[in-house]
Amino acid sequence: MNACHKLVFIGEPGAGKTTCIAALSDIAPVTTDVGCTDDLARRKASTTVALDYGEMDLGEQGMLRLYGLPGQERFRFMFDVVRDGAMGLVVLVDAASAQGLDGLAGTLATYADELRQRPFVLCLNKHPDPPMAFRERCMAMLRDQGLVAPLLVIDARSRSDLAQVFRMLCLLLDHGDYPVLDGERGGA
Amino acid sequence: MNRWPDPDHALQALARIVSGCEGVQIAMLASRDGRPFVWRSAVAGDSGKLAAMTSSLTALGRTVLRELNAGELDHLLVEGQDGKLVLVGVPGLDGLLVLAVLAERRARLGLVLGHARMCVRALAPGA
Ligand SMILES: Nc1nc2c(ncn2[C@@H]2O[C@H](COP(=O)(O)OP(=O)(O)O)[C@@H](O)[C@H]2O)c(=O)[nH]1
Ligand SMILES: [Mg+2]
Repeated sequence: MNACHKLVFIGEPGAGKTTCIAALSDIAPVTTDVGCTDDLARRKASTTVALDYGEMDLGEQGMLRLYGLPGQERFRFMFDVVRDGAMGLVVLVDAASAQGLDGLAGTLATYADELRQRPFVLCLNKHPDPPMAFRERCMAMLRDQGLVAPLLVIDARSRSDLAQVFRMLCLLLDHGDYPVLDGERGGA
Repeated sequence: MNRWPDPDHALQALARIVSGCEGVQIAMLASRDGRPFVWRSAVAGDSGKLAAMTSSLTALGRTVLRELNAGELDHLLVEGQDGKLVLVGVPGLDGLLVLAVLAERRARLGLVLGHARMCVRALAPGA
């Protein structure tokens, strides 16, 4: 059997985590969306309150287990539920909306410590070609937190785009300098 | 449709559990997306976090039951050596609100569950 790799998706509500995992999964995805009851309802009907789960078979390269988290800071504890064995994180940004930058700021504020400890890729989603100024703002936000990561423009619903994100994470793992965390790496 | 109960009425119902059931520490109504609506507590606690955890657990419980074809969620019970958490949805609101009751070890599970059920029935529309 090919190796299993666990990827965790984080990012603001509306960045596309649930859509992406549902679109990529080879199995019926596990979803935990409920109707929004706050201001978010103006932008989207439902929001994830526990996790999304899906599986994507990359053949030779192995099998990806995809975990999506809720975007709101109040659900931060869900990261502790899924963190064990995660090979890396995918940080999704809604690059089509002006709120995308605020969303990224919130995500970085909540997860900066976790992002320092494992590889991650910053993925600009929902826009085929985000303006240079937007990309630069994103990179500046990473720098302000003392973080370094590749930035990719992706359609998070595309298998080939996600396969590229995965290859990038593998490269980072091979060449980056991350603490080996107990019970992590590889993970089955 | 969102039909939030009257907060004062809800608080009275919560107060009845906290004062009427031995060992209950916190009674809270949380929205399905994890925000505290009203709560009563006999101890200090982080209401925001409990509300978020309540919605996560409830959603996972519903997801598991769906995968197992085991029908609608009735209640969730998480019991540890030093405390227990009982979650029960308020009927008739489309899952809008969930009651979370946190009790210490000495609390009797049957009594806590009984009080929790009485409370959500009192909060159901038309009760
Ligand atoms: N154009 C476009 N829309 C997307 C994409 N991914 C998600 N969406 C839309 O963005 C909205 C939010 O998606 P959702 O997956 O719920 O976001 P989450 O809060 O991050 O889980 C939905 O209406 C999706 O249809 C994408 O890659 N491109
Ligand atoms: Mg989601």
